[in-house]
Amino acid sequence: MDEVKYSLKDYKSDLKPIWCPGCGDYGVLNALMQAFVKLQIPPHQMALISGIGCSSRLPGYINTYGFNGIHGRAIPLATGVKLSNPDIKVIAVGGDGDGFSIGAGHIPHAARKNIDMTYIVMNNNIYGLTKGQASPTTPVGEQTKTTFYGNMDEPINPVRMMIAYKASFVARVFSGDPKNAIEVITQAIQHRGFSFVEVLSPCPTFRGVEQFKLIREKVRHLPEDYQPTDEVRAFDIANDNDFIRLGVIYRQDRPIYTDIMRKMQQVSEKMGKPEILNLLKQFEP
Amino acid sequence: MASNNIVIGIAGSGGDGVISAGEILVNAASSDGLFVFMLKSFGAQIRGGESSVRVRMSSEPVATQGDKLDILVVLSWKDYLKFQSEMLLEDHVVILSDSEDSFSEENIPIPADKLKNWYKVPFNQLATNAAGTSLAKNIAMLGVISELFNLPKTALEKSVKKKFSSKRDDVIEKNLNALKAGRDYVKKEIEKKDSVLFEYTPGDPRIVMEGNEATAFGALYAGVEFYAGYPITPSTEIMHWLSVYLPRYNGVVIQMEDELASINAVVGASFAGRKAMTATSGPGVSLMSEGIGLAGMAELPIVVINVQRGGPSTGIPTKTEQADLMQAIWGSHGDAPRVVIAPSDVEDCFDCTVLAFYIAEKYQLPVIVLSDAFIGHRKESINPNRFRDLKYGFKKINRRITPTEKELEDYHRFKITKNGISPVTWPGMEKGMYQAAGIEHNEKGFPSSDVSVHSRMTKKRWEKFREIKREFSFERFYGPDDAELGVIAWGSTKGAVKEAVARANANGIKVQAIIPQILYPFLIQPFHDFLRHKKRVIFVEMAYAGAFRRYLRGFVRFGDFGVETVSYRQTGGAPFTVGQIYDKIVEEYEKKDA
Ligand SMILES: Cc1ncc(C[n+]2csc(CCOP(=O)(O)OP(=O)(O)O)c2C)c(N)n1
Ligand code: SF4
Repeated sequence: MDEVKYSLKDYKSDLKPIWCPGCGDYGVLNALMQAFVKLQIPPHQMALISGIGCSSRLPGYINTYGFNGIHGRAIPLATGVKLSNPDIKVIAVGGDGDGFSIGAGHIPHAARKNIDMTYIVMNNNIYGLTKGQASPTTPVGEQTKTTFYGNMDEPINPVRMMIAYKASFVARVFSGDPKNAIEVITQAIQHRGFSFVEVLSPCPTFRGVEQFKLIREKVRHLPEDYQPTDEVRAFDIANDNDFIRLGVIYRQDRPIYTDIMRKMQQVSEKMGKPEILNLLKQFEP
Repeated sequence: MASNNIVIGIAGSGGDGVISAGEILVNAASSDGLFVFMLKSFGAQIRGGESSVRVRMSSEPVATQGDKLDILVVLSWKDYLKFQSEMLLEDHVVILSDSEDSFSEENIPIPADKLKNWYKVPFNQLATNAAGTSLAKNIAMLGVISELFNLPKTALEKSVKKKFSSKRDDVIEKNLNALKAGRDYVKKEIEKKDSVLFEYTPGDPRIVMEGNEATAFGALYAGVEFYAGYPITPSTEIMHWLSVYLPRYNGVVIQMEDELASINAVVGASFAGRKAMTATSGPGVSLMSEGIGLAGMAELPIVVINVQRGGPSTGIPTKTEQADLMQAIWGSHGDAPRVVIAPSDVEDCFDCTVLAFYIAEKYQLPVIVLSDAFIGHRKESINPNRFRDLKYGFKKINRRITPTEKELEDYHRFKITKNGISPVTWPGMEKGMYQAAGIEHNEKGFPSSDVSVHSRMTKKRWEKFREIKREFSFERFYGPDDAELGVIAWGSTKGAVKEAVARANANGIKVQAIIPQILYPFLIQPFHDFLRHKKRVIFVEMAYAGAFRRYLRGFVRFGDFGVETVSYRQTGGAPFTVGQIYDKIVEEYEKKDA
């Protein structure tokens, strides 16, 4: 990148975030904008798509095309945008409830189709916007507004799940570790295919301020020589109970959906693009 | 009894080639310029099982499948039993059945007086002898009936050739042999004892389309660029057809994981500036309703086709009903305007889809097209020239308006305008960046929970209705304006109503029918005009709870006009017959005179 055309202020919208003070999502917003600066993506060439939740408010804070859709449906909404205009950078963002609970049915399909987009999940292990109910990533035993006697459900491990779904890029970062977050998110946006980034993004309001500290103690960067192309190794990392590993955990290069779509269009173009009314021929008796 | 209007029913098991036979017959009749109407009916089995077709052909225009059969062909009595209630027989009916069918005669569920003209023909054997395979028995059968009743002959040969044109030459040959064997059999072995004979003069060839094909073709004609869907009977043919053709026009067809995904992908595509649609049936619309509301709130044009099926929940997927009216109009949360239009026959499936895109793009809102299995799955013959001269020509079809350079200097995506329509941009346009949202927003697109913003924006979104009502008025009227008896119906019941009204008027019973095409927003004036002379109106609908009548009564004070209302409705499955509606008209007409 020779010339810096777009700086942080070009990506900042006129809207002030309404997140609580200390919310991890501020870090994600910042990391994302820094990644845009690094990549110099023209603001009008991006679409930021979200569902519903505190975290899903994020597109509004960035000066670009954005769509704050409905709960759980960011992925199909983003799919529609991407396939309609493959030249646009499409980034879907949301919370763990939005993505893994109500919207869980969509993720495997975007992953297996390898839709060329980035999906960032701000995981706070809780429902923030609806004020403190258990989410699919809430640890066993935790008390929340809906688990008075302690959460009984086994939590989802997003990274392990996304590797299993054959997402072609799977990473984890921590909003309290901006340097790594910016680096990994940048790579995720550059990746051709479906890239998934779990951001550990604490909710001090409903999970307590100490969550930052607890996470900081458990996270470790991946070793220097780590090769993310080994699926078995990636699962091992995802299953690690002693440390939470940060970085690009799994990556694979494979054709993206729009490539396949274009190929299909080429095949069908050979069959000709008839004058619409000539299609009436097929209805002749 | 020579007639230029004949109704033929064929019933058998899936392997008998019943539907193919019907299609070949329809094609033959159409290439001879006849008006044709074909209805398929089958059980829930995936393959095999029972199936039937009813083919009506005439040298005059036809609007329905015809009430009763002049000719019944039974390839298997066991399978016929399943369609008994759908296949009513004329007194003069001629029955042909397979003489090798082992079904015992005393169990044949047809009264003796209708069995007078019964020919037992060895279809199987004819086919095996002539073609070396019993698979051709449906073709041998066509040979028999074409000879016996003077159905189009040269055209039938042509149609058989076409049907097997993708097969090897000897397959075509064998089938032509079977056809001939059927004919020869009649000449040699049958002494005609019935009086049913078809009489017609050939005309210019017509084309044959199914409602769902017409819908898909209409979408392509209107310039659809993006289709996302999830299979559901009886709508899936729309997706099948577009899967073949849309990519050739650089469009996208994607099969999503469910209806929630489909509708959101469609909304996303529309946000990206594309003409986007999906097609489904009632259960799918239920899942889509949140997404339809999203399009309403984000003021994005989308087209949703609902090919209605029978019953609540999974209901009767292969049969028809008109019970999703309220779902179409009100089925979402909050005040979210959408337009609902209802096609009434195959040609109308095309027109309504073109119209749907026109309205959606121009007014930036969702448009729901309420088709149903009855029109979606039937075949009709159409004059091909009608597509060349259309009210909403391809070029004239609107795309949503975009902002001017000046408007982009301080762009307000949701700018409040007099008609509620604001210029829209999409990703990639340099200056028009904005936030779309399902959440309430101000003119800029920024979220707001301010009650005054909400009320202004709600008003803005509904303002569009005023202009839509000004721009469109599409009601069909049949019969004299000054009739005191009226019939009000919508969608696919049009055919039966139209024919019943014509029959009544021909018999000196004065009655007029009104069939709206745009159901929502509701256009009051045409109904007021209609009611001016009416004393009594009959609402005809295929929906047990009578939603249509209740809906209209919300807008039109029939009592104030001194008009009595009568509801005539039945559950779907079998669509209304002309006779049923005619009898109802007579009944109400006589009451009025009393
Ligand atoms: C269909 C539907 N169901 C429920 C809700 C209510 N709702 C809004 S946000 C939310 C959960 C948000 O949690 P998460 O996705 O984890 O995001 P966070 O607020 O924690 O960032 C729920 C249940 C809704 N808006 N729509
Ligand atoms: S509730 Fe939690 S997630 Fe939501 S803004 Fe506040 S701190 Fe952030």
